Amino acid sequence: MRRWLLLQLGRAGLAAWATASLVFILSRLLAVGTEDAMLSSGNDLQVRTASTSAVARQALRQRLGLDEPVFYVTRISRNSASWRWHGTHNQYHHWLAGLLHGQLGWSYRDGQPIGPKLRTALVYTLPLAGLAAVAATLVALALGLVLAGGPLAASLTSGRAALHLVLSSLQGIPVFMLALGLLFLFANPDALDLLPAYSLADNPDGLLLGAYLLQLIMPVLTLVLAVLPELALPLAAALRHELRADYVTTARAKGVPAASLLRRHALPNALPPLLTSFASLLPSLLAGTVVVESVFSLPGVGRLLAEAAAAHDYPVVVAGVLVTAGVRLLGLALADALYALADPRIRLAL
Amino acid sequence: MKYVWICLLLAIGSSACSQLDKHQKHKIVRIRWVRDPENLSPLVQPNQNAVDALNLLHCSLLQLDVATGTHVPALADSLPSVHLVGDSLTELSYQLRRAATWDNGRPVLATDVAFTLKLYQCPGLPNERARAQLSFIRAIKLDTAAPRRFTLVCRGQAPDFRLETGDFPVLPETTLDAKHTLRRYSLAQLANLPGLPSRDTALSALVSRYQHADPSHHPERLPGCGAYRLRAWEIDRFLTFVRKPHWWADTLRPTPFVLQARPRQLTYLIIPDETSAALALRRHELDVLPQLTARAFKHLREDDSTKQELSFYSLASYELLMAGFNTRQPILRDSLTRQALARLFDPAKLLQATQLGQGLRTASLVHPGNRRYYNDSLALPIYDPRQTVSLLKQAGWQRQATGWVPAKSKHTPQPLKIRMRYRADDAVFATVGLQFKSAATALGIPVELLPTEASSLTTALQEGDFDIYVRKLSSTPFAFDFTMLLHSRAIPKSNFTKFSTRTTDRLIDAIAATGAPAQKRKLLRRFQTIIQQQTPLVPLFFLPYRLATARELQHLYPSGYKPGYYAAAATWNIAGSIPAAAQ
Repeated sequence: MRRWLLLQLGRAGLAAWATASLVFILSRLLAVGTEDAMLSSGNDLQVRTASTSAVARQALRQRLGLDEPVFYVTRISRNSASWRWHGTHNQYHHWLAGLLHGQLGWSYRDGQPIGPKLRTALVYTLPLAGLAAVAATLVALALGLVLAGGPLAASLTSGRAALHLVLSSLQGIPVFMLALGLLFLFANPDALDLLPAYSLADNPDGLLLGAYLLQLIMPVLTLVLAVLPELALPLAAALRHELRADYVTTARAKGVPAASLLRRHALPNALPPLLTSFASLLPSLLAGTVVVESVFSLPGVGRLLAEAAAAHDYPVVVAGVLVTAGVRLLGLALADALYALADPRIRLAL
Repeated sequence: MKYVWICLLLAIGSSACSQLDKHQKHKIVRIRWVRDPENLSPLVQPNQNAVDALNLLHCSLLQLDVATGTHVPALADSLPSVHLVGDSLTELSYQLRRAATWDNGRPVLATDVAFTLKLYQCPGLPNERARAQLSFIRAIKLDTAAPRRFTLVCRGQAPDFRLETGDFPVLPETTLDAKHTLRRYSLAQLANLPGLPSRDTALSALVSRYQHADPSHHPERLPGCGAYRLRAWEIDRFLTFVRKPHWWADTLRPTPFVLQARPRQLTYLIIPDETSAALALRRHELDVLPQLTARAFKHLREDDSTKQELSFYSLASYELLMAGFNTRQPILRDSLTRQALARLFDPAKLLQATQLGQGLRTASLVHPGNRRYYNDSLALPIYDPRQTVSLLKQAGWQRQATGWVPAKSKHTPQPLKIRMRYRADDAVFATVGLQFKSAATALGIPVELLPTEASSLTTALQEGDFDIYVRKLSSTPFAFDFTMLLHSRAIPKSNFTKFSTRTTDRLIDAIAATGAPAQKRKLLRRFQTIIQQQTPLVPLFFLPYRLATARELQHLYPSGYKPGYYAAAATWNIAGSIPAAAQ
C-alpha cells in the first residue's frame, strides 16, 4: 500500500509538472500585452505615455526576465529548420530550478513571491472548500439514502419525487446564479436580511470568530448546492440498483430491517459511484470558488487565479495550474485508494 | 440544543457588527473598490486605486481641485512661474510651503524634490513608467539661499508642463538616502543611464535599500507628508487609512481644498461583485459606492426603501466612448464612405440603452463642458440611414443584389463589408456593435463583430486587422495633445486609425505647443472641424460617473474626474463628526 501510494504521488507530481511546464512555455510564447498591461492603462490620452518608450519596455522585460530565451532550444527563425542551444540561461530553466527549491516565482503585478500569496489565499479557500466538501458528502449520503427509499420511504414517496426534481433542477443552475440567489435571500433588507453582504473589514485588528463563520455560511452553502446533485443523484441510482439485487432480497427475507438493509448491505456496494464523483469533487469545488470568492468578496485561490489570468500575470497563473493539477491528481489517487478500501475485490495495480 | 448554538452564533456576529457601526460611524468612511491597489510604491502606481491611496499618504506639488476643476498648489506655495529658454527649453520655478513638514517635524525641502525626481530616474528600480513619463525634466536647480525654492528645467515647450511637473508624490530623502548619495548625480546623468541594474556601487546600494524596504507593500517604511497613514492592509480584502493627529496642513488658515482631510479613518473595502456591494450599501456595511453601472444605479434609485437612506449622483466624466475607422483599408479610404458609415451609429439611443440617458453627447474629442475649447458650431453625430445611402452613392458605391460595390473599378470590385473589433469584456461595446450591425444589415452592408480579448485587441489594432473599432478613451479637461491618437508619429502604435494629413499633424503640434488661450481656442476649433469632416473617428458620448452614498455623508464633491469623488473632504451629518472649520 505504501509503495502504491508513493508511486501514485510520484505520478501525480510528474503529471502536474508536465501540465505546468506546457502552460509555462505556451504562456511565454504566446505572451502578448504583459508590457502594455504594466506600462499603460491602454485607454489614456497621454502626452508622454510610457507604452511608446522602447527603452521602458526593454527595461521592464529585463526586470521581469522576459528578455531571456524561453526554453533550452529555440528555432533561429520561423522559416528556418535550424535550432539554437541556449544552455541553462533560459526562462524555463530558472523557473524549474526555483520550483525544485520550493519557489514558485514572483508576480509580475506586485513583485511579490507567489508562494506566500498562494498560502494566504489558501487560508480562505481551504476552510471554504473543505467545509463544503465535508458538508456536501454528508448531505449527499443522507439524500441518497432518502431518495433510494430510506427508513421513512413509505411516507416520503411524493416527497422523494419532489426532492429528485429539486436536485435535478439545481444541477442546471450556474454557480453564480446560486450565489446571487442566496445573497438576495439572506443579505437583502427586502428579504431575510440575516447574513452580512460584507462584514470582515469592520474589525481590522482581528476577525471575530462569529463574524467569520457568518461570512462563510453563504459561500459554503453555494458550493454545497452546486456539487450536491452530482454526488447525491448517482448514489441514489446506485442504491436503487443494489436494492434490486438478489442478496438484498435474501436479507429482506431473513428479516433484516429496512434501515439496516440500506446502510449495512446496499450502501457499501453502492459507494463506488460516489467515490468516482468524489474524485472530481475537489476540482469542481476549486472551479466553484472562482465565482463564489468573487461574489462574496473572499480573497481566496480562485479569485487570485482569475484576476491573475485577466491581468496576464503568467507566473501566478502557472503556479495556479500546478496547484490545480496537483489537487486533481491527488483527488484521483485518493479515489483509487478509497475504492480499494470500499471494495476488497479491487487490487491496487503498481 | 443545536438551534441554541446557531442563534448564539448569529447573535455574536450581528452584535459585533452593529456595535462597530454605532461607535465608529461618525469617524469612518467606508468606500468600495472593485480591485486591490496591488502596489503602493510611488514609483509604480499600477492602477487608479493605487493613485488614490498614494494621494492620501503623500503630497504632490500641485493637486487637482475637483471643486473647481483646476490644478492648485498643494506642497507648492503657489503655481510655478514659467520661463521659456530659447525655443527648446522651459524653466518652471517652484517655492515649497513653509509649513510643510514630514512626520518627524523636519521641513519638506527642495532637496527632497530633487531626491524624488532622481529616484524616478534611478536605474534598477521598478520605475519604467515613471521614468518615461518624467523624462522631459532634465535638471533641477536648487537655490542655495532659499532651501524651499527650486527650478525644473524641461526639454521642450508645452503649456502642459505646469501640470505635469507638479504631479508626482514627493518623497523624503533621509529615509532612503540618509548619506545623500544621489546628490552626486545630476538628473540628466541618471536619465541617460540605461534602465538596467547599475554597476555603480552607490546606486546599487540605494536600489538594495529600496528593495529591502519594499514600499510597494510597506508604505509605512517610506512615509509621506500626506494627511493619512496606512493602518491595515489585507490584500484583496480592505485597506484602512487613519488620519495623522497632527498634520502640517492643519496649521494653514484657510485650509486649501486639496489639503482638507476630514474623516478620521478611510476604509476601502475590496468588493469585486457589484450586487454584493449594492447590498452592503443597503445594509449599512458600506458608505460610498462609486462607478456604478446603469442597471445597478437604476435599481437602487427606484427602490422605495433605499430612496430615503441613500444619495445618488451622476455626472458626465471625461471618458469618451468612440468608434474609429481603419483609414488604410481600401474601402474606407474615402472620407465620404466614413461619413456615411458614421451615420449608422445612433448615439442618442445608445446613450439611453447603455447609460439610462446619463452622460453627454459630443461632436468632438473635446468635452462639451469646456466652453472655451469645444467647437459648439459642429453638429452632433446622428443616426441617419438615408444620408448614409446618399453619401455612399456620392462616394461611388452602388447597391446590387449581392451588396454594395464600387460603381467603377478597374480590378475585381471589393464589396463594402465591415469587420468591427472591440473589447470582449464590456457589454457597452457589444451593444454599440449590435446596434451598428443591425443598422448596416438593414442597408445591405454585412458586418462581422469581433469581440476580442484586451491585449490581443491592441495587437490586432496595431496590425490594422479591423475596419472599425470601438473603445473608451480616458482624457482630462487639460489634455489637448492628440499626438497619441491622430498624429502620423503615433502610427501604428497608438494611432490605430492610421489617419494623418500634413495639416492635422501641424495642427496637433501647434495645439500642444500653444499656451495662449485665444490661439489655442482657434487651433482647437479648426482641428475639431477637420476631424469631423474627415471622420477618422466618431465620438459617441462621454460616459457618466455614477455614485450612491449614505445620505448622511456629505461634502464628497462628486465629479467627472477620477475617481468621481473626493473622499478626504467627506463629513458625516451627525453629532460627533469633525466640523469643517476645525480642519
